[in-house]
Amino acid sequence: MAFDLADKAAIAGVGYTEFSKNSGVSTLTLATRAIMAALQDAGLDPARLDGIATHRVGDSIPSSVVAQAMGIRDLHYFVDHFGGGGSSQAVVGQAAMAVAAGVADYVVCYRAINARSEFRMGGTGRPTVDSIETQYQAPYGYVAPPQQYAMVAQAYMQRYGVTERHLGAVAVTQRRHASLNPHALMRTPITYEEYLASRWVVEPFRLLDCCLETDAAVAVLVCSAERARDLKQPPVTIRAAAWGGGQTLFSNQQPPPGTSLAAQMAPRLFGMAGLKPADVDVAMIYDCFTPAVLIQLEDYGFCAKGEGGAFTLSGATALGGSMPVNTHGGFLSEGYVHGWNHIAEAAAQLRGQAGDRQVTGARIALSTGAPGYVGGVTSALLLEGGS
Amino acid sequence: MSDRPVPHPDRDSAPYWEGVSAGELRLQRCSGCGAYRWPARAICNRCHSFQAEWVAVSGLGTIISWVRTHQVFMRAFQDDVPYVTVEVQIDEQDDIRMIGRLAAPAPVIGMRVRALFEGDPPLTVWHPVG
Repeated sequence: MAFDLADKAAIAGVGYTEFSKNSGVSTLTLATRAIMAALQDAGLDPARLDGIATHRVGDSIPSSVVAQAMGIRDLHYFVDHFGGGGSSQAVVGQAAMAVAAGVADYVVCYRAINARSEFRMGGTGRPTVDSIETQYQAPYGYVAPPQQYAMVAQAYMQRYGVTERHLGAVAVTQRRHASLNPHALMRTPITYEEYLASRWVVEPFRLLDCCLETDAAVAVLVCSAERARDLKQPPVTIRAAAWGGGQTLFSNQQPPPGTSLAAQMAPRLFGMAGLKPADVDVAMIYDCFTPAVLIQLEDYGFCAKGEGGAFTLSGATALGGSMPVNTHGGFLSEGYVHGWNHIAEAAAQLRGQAGDRQVTGARIALSTGAPGYVGGVTSALLLEGGS
Repeated sequence: MSDRPVPHPDRDSAPYWEGVSAGELRLQRCSGCGAYRWPARAICNRCHSFQAEWVAVSGLGTIISWVRTHQVFMRAFQDDVPYVTVEVQIDEQDDIRMIGRLAAPAPVIGMRVRALFEGDPPLTVWHPVG
């Protein structure tokens, strides 16, 4: 390899806004609040920032406007990527490349959305995504991510004998995790019976199979591993970043039902880090809907294809299990910041700052983006703490 | 009803929608490798040929997945819920999967179906066969 990205960059600071159903403020305000929180976390003077990066789907202020609001006078690196949750981890991976290449010193990456009060993904408050596929779907009333993922789920469940018992186990486990997280929107534990009693959204999805729609921002400061050591927090090293894709849910040449784009990407991710799935201590797995967790557990190699449901039902993914997943409660229970609160939770775990939900001795964490069904791309990070 | 999304053909897909209006399922067949393209576009993602001809296909396929929508995502469909949407793999090529309505109350994965084009504007309604 001509250029080795592994271990060159680190996450040096993490910042959140409050998570809510109605922030009452602009996405610009959310972005700058999260960025200031990340800089304060790292102990970095805002004047040192020289890079900014985000992704959007027409639902947030451009990064150039945020750069201006932050008073960055001489921007060395910027990204304003068009894309949804599949791009989330890629934005941080690209920032790692930028600092590793010496293009910029301190890149702040963020996502700021009023995903409940302004731009709901469900198609009720915004135009449908610009795509050549929309014309073949929207006339049938098939427009929203829960419908698209439900279609994937139905085929996956039939093919591998996955049942509502398995989907429910994801929801119940993650809610239990959220009950230990003061930042989570939904903290009251649920039973499997309560899961079953929640209303249908799109069969086979009940309400509790679906993530929360949330107003929030999360920001992450990326700099070289060397610079990160001079800042306030224990550095979280970016061991590997990977980008994947090439097929959408609808185009020909798509993977078989129930296999995501992560399956072909994961070996590249682990290869860059020189790690294997068994080395991961805690995983934040993109959980827009419950079966996305099961499919990715399989596609990232934590269990065999079709075994994600049984793996979850066994308790393996719960705190105290062999492979704790979404310890913050995930998008299902903490809040949905389009991939970014997964990065923040991974960092919290690796710094040993996860409070009552801390995974003892967590050293390696995986954080994944949307597995590609809607947007046609995916991305992921492998992070290491304690160095 | 009037605010329902209607098909918006693009510069690549107009012949598909003309087929729907004429009561035929038409697809591009690549002149380079013979593969069908879906969705409609100028280039073949297998052989990269820009040449293709539009041909009528059988309209037969198999349901590979389905969903039943209960939540109103678009107001135009509020009187339809709950409604079933199916994903159909066409007989001609196993990686081409289309969305449509089903002319039966109980979808089953593996159900054999045929495309008919109904309504104004015409849309694909899959009817059980056999």
